[in-house]
Amino acid sequence: MSIVDWSVLVLTLTGIVAYGIVRSRGSRSMDDYLLAGQSLPWYHVGLSVMATQASAITFLSAPGQGFTDGMRFVQFYFGLPLAMVVLSITFVPIFHRLKIFTAYEFLEDRFDTRVRTLTAGLFLLQRGLSTGLSIYAPAIILSTILGWNIYWTNLLMGGIVLLYTVTGGTKAISYTHLQQMAVVTFAMGLAGYLTVKMLPEGVGFVDALHVAGEAGRMNLIDLKFDPESRYNLWSGLIGGFFLQLSYFGTDQSQVGRYLTGQSIGQSRLGLLMNGLLKVPMQFLILLVGVLVFVFYQFNPAPTFFNKQETESLKNSRYASQYQLAEIKHQNLTTQRQRAVLDMQAALQTDDEAGQTAAGTILRETDEALKVVKTDVTKLIRQNNPAADTNDVNYIFLRFVLDYLPHGLIGLLIAVIFSASMGSIASAYNSLASTTVVDVYKRLINKAGSDADYLNASRWATIGWGIFCIAVAQFANQLGSMIEAVNILGSLFYGVILGVFVVAFYVKSIGGRATFWAAIISEVLVVISWILNLTAFLWLNAIGCLLVVSIAWVLQRTVFRDR
Amino acid sequence: MTENNTGLPSFIRSWNQLYAIVMGSLAVEIILFYLLMRWLS
Repeated sequence: MSIVDWSVLVLTLTGIVAYGIVRSRGSRSMDDYLLAGQSLPWYHVGLSVMATQASAITFLSAPGQGFTDGMRFVQFYFGLPLAMVVLSITFVPIFHRLKIFTAYEFLEDRFDTRVRTLTAGLFLLQRGLSTGLSIYAPAIILSTILGWNIYWTNLLMGGIVLLYTVTGGTKAISYTHLQQMAVVTFAMGLAGYLTVKMLPEGVGFVDALHVAGEAGRMNLIDLKFDPESRYNLWSGLIGGFFLQLSYFGTDQSQVGRYLTGQSIGQSRLGLLMNGLLKVPMQFLILLVGVLVFVFYQFNPAPTFFNKQETESLKNSRYASQYQLAEIKHQNLTTQRQRAVLDMQAALQTDDEAGQTAAGTILRETDEALKVVKTDVTKLIRQNNPAADTNDVNYIFLRFVLDYLPHGLIGLLIAVIFSASMGSIASAYNSLASTTVVDVYKRLINKAGSDADYLNASRWATIGWGIFCIAVAQFANQLGSMIEAVNILGSLFYGVILGVFVVAFYVKSIGGRATFWAAIISEVLVVISWILNLTAFLWLNAIGCLLVVSIAWVLQRTVFRDR
Repeated sequence: MTENNTGLPSFIRSWNQLYAIVMGSLAVEIILFYLLMRWLS
């Protein structure tokens, strides 16, 4: 990074943080600090919800996903607009009318203190650990590519957020979300535009889309119902709907965002804005990745984008094998470039036979290049079993550093920081509000003044910030912990969703049945994970289903008269 | 269910209409994506 990039990065981040702090001065009550006094208009709510969901990995990994796997990942978000409608009809009015701070408060109103405390506890455990990894995941990529120290990167990533979250609370988070979304949209749009501009003369945007289509990257819709396939129309609509409903309906980091709306109407409008914009936004981010893919059809692409690993391979006993793979890769790249130029000529002359022939070569070389990449990945793993071989996360950043102009590089690094800060800030805030409202105020200091709770909220934010940064530092030494915490999330999320499903939709079931159903379900979910009965992603659905069915049975048998 | 229409933009008559717009937009996007895919492959 040049001095220009550093200046842009520092100025952008300082500007965002300063603006957030200045605009949020004067939080004098817990209501102000945790819910922004329920004073925010719909566009604040909508942008805040979007900034919370879009983490740094979204902007690092999604273009990489578009590059390697095409546009089909967009289907994953098809359930989101439907979930926003259901939330607007059911969750939002109930949460607003009860004037609650956290989603778990509602559970006491509906059931009892035990269910509320259990669910809040499960949330704190899961969110605390996963926020640590939200800090670590982009920090490790930035530190690998830019040569930064991982500990300092973690500290910077988690520390800046702590600064304005502690001082300004929810208002600061919301105001910074606005700036962050503006920076992200502008920089990603500019990156996409420049990628097209850098294509060879005579190759325009539509030509680029044709090349991408021929290479199988414009695979937007898969109508086939196949449970084995991760992304198709049906898994996106059905699976995506349940996933988004549980995330936006029961995760305090999101509930806390739309509870800041001035009224039920403003919160609803914010969520529906997210429902309207999320799919197009994800489409455009993936398209940037597809355009980068097209760019590399005309320019030499590295065998592996994580340079640190290939450099280490060059100096290992696998160097000769790597060299052979490199030669193979270069030959295939030349072959592919020729096919793309043929395709370009055939498109301009409307030569259908020429297009088909070039398309076939393009797809064949693409497959052969994938095989070479798999071979290199194997070599990297043999050389260093702890190596980060998930190259998808490195593609976009490598492209940015190698080809985009100075200034924009700094801005795009600021995008990664901004996106990361947006989701981490909401997480800190949700952890603090759940700790103070559901634990401290409810169980430890019931008769405190508003000033006590405001003070406690600030200390809880600091405490959770330190905890999450510590988890990020620890994750650096335990690579396998990322998967462990993902599994941990799946172990708890389904059970939490199950409790809320019972609360909203099965009015005949009471608190005791739900509490014991949640405990039994949690044990069963953990057992099915230990016995490896299913892939861990399915544990979400299983946990939810178990809570509902066990609570129903318990209510009709053991707790019939209660 | 969605009886209170306060807070809506002036050009929208009811919440149900807005919900229909959100779901309709999704349907239009899916159709457009499908057509784009067919055109480019």
